[in-house]
Amino acid sequence: MGLLTAEIRNMVGAESGLEVACDPVERGAVRRYVQAYMDDDPIFYSEEKTHSLKYRVPVAPPLFPMNMFRRPPGTPDPFAGRANDPHFDGIVDSTAQGLPPLPLPQGVGLLNAGTDVEVFRYARHVETVTAKSRYYSITEKESSKGPMLLVVIETEYRTEGGELLLRAKKTQIRR
Amino acid sequence: MRRCYEQVSVGDTLEPLTKGPLTIAHLMRWSAAMENWHRIHYDRQFAVEHDKLPGILVNGTLKQQFVMQMLREWAGHEGWVWKVGFQFRAMNLEGETLSVWGRVTRKRETKQYGLVDVELGIVNGANKESTPGTAVIALPYENGEPVPYPFIAPMDEGGNA
Repeated sequence: MGLLTAEIRNMVGAESGLEVACDPVERGAVRRYVQAYMDDDPIFYSEEKTHSLKYRVPVAPPLFPMNMFRRPPGTPDPFAGRANDPHFDGIVDSTAQGLPPLPLPQGVGLLNAGTDVEVFRYARHVETVTAKSRYYSITEKESSKGPMLLVVIETEYRTEGGELLLRAKKTQIRR
Repeated sequence: MRRCYEQVSVGDTLEPLTKGPLTIAHLMRWSAAMENWHRIHYDRQFAVEHDKLPGILVNGTLKQQFVMQMLREWAGHEGWVWKVGFQFRAMNLEGETLSVWGRVTRKRETKQYGLVDVELGIVNGANKESTPGTAVIALPYENGEPVPYPFIAPMDEGGNA
């Protein structure tokens, strides 16, 4: 039996609400991020450098908006009660980008197959970033391990004023 | 350095970017910066015994940053890395040294700037490919205007203008 039911097929085009990152682009968060992937480009911290370039002010790396949607303060701790759960894998964020989850049978796993991005500008320090997602396509393929779904989720990251920063299409394999 | 469209030829290779060896400390630092607590990136016992993986996995998101860094450094601040696609085809493990590579496959001209298509990937010390992909980079013409910022994509390629 296949995984692509009529109910799932009808979810193509379904959209999330407009999500707002709980923190603006923080200088310290950018510093930790670029130090962690080992990139010393001064556009990420130096006003003196960026002033003479098209950025004008320090910016975040191109893919930074994709990692800004974190647990807001005052929300329940996802680690609470999991200390003795040997199967807790540490994943605490939604994998559906704010979209309604696909009604798949229990035990269907998820693999990240890849990402396609289009970048239009870099987020500036202190800017607020929003995200809105939709199910872009859902198709079924036959693999050596049986049927699998290729689920493409498109997310647009914008400034609070609506300026497009980045468009990302993430492909998930569900099987 | 200002890299112009006319200076680039099909078949040119991009300066490779090498990272590593990537230790658990590198991966934990990236996980913390990302606030990604997936245990397969820092908990060897969980990765190997529970998830039956061959070791601690290098985060796909970290590899994406390496690709973007190489492309940005090649394009320079007057170019623009517009499109990038990555496919996660194989795992990379703690202890590996990764090299990002790229090669120009096609050039095409628009009114305002030139577009350069690049094929790319990430290989480990054994030269095994894990993250094949493609990119499209906009470069200014030698005597032309700067590439617009914020970037305005050409209308015949799904532009945002």
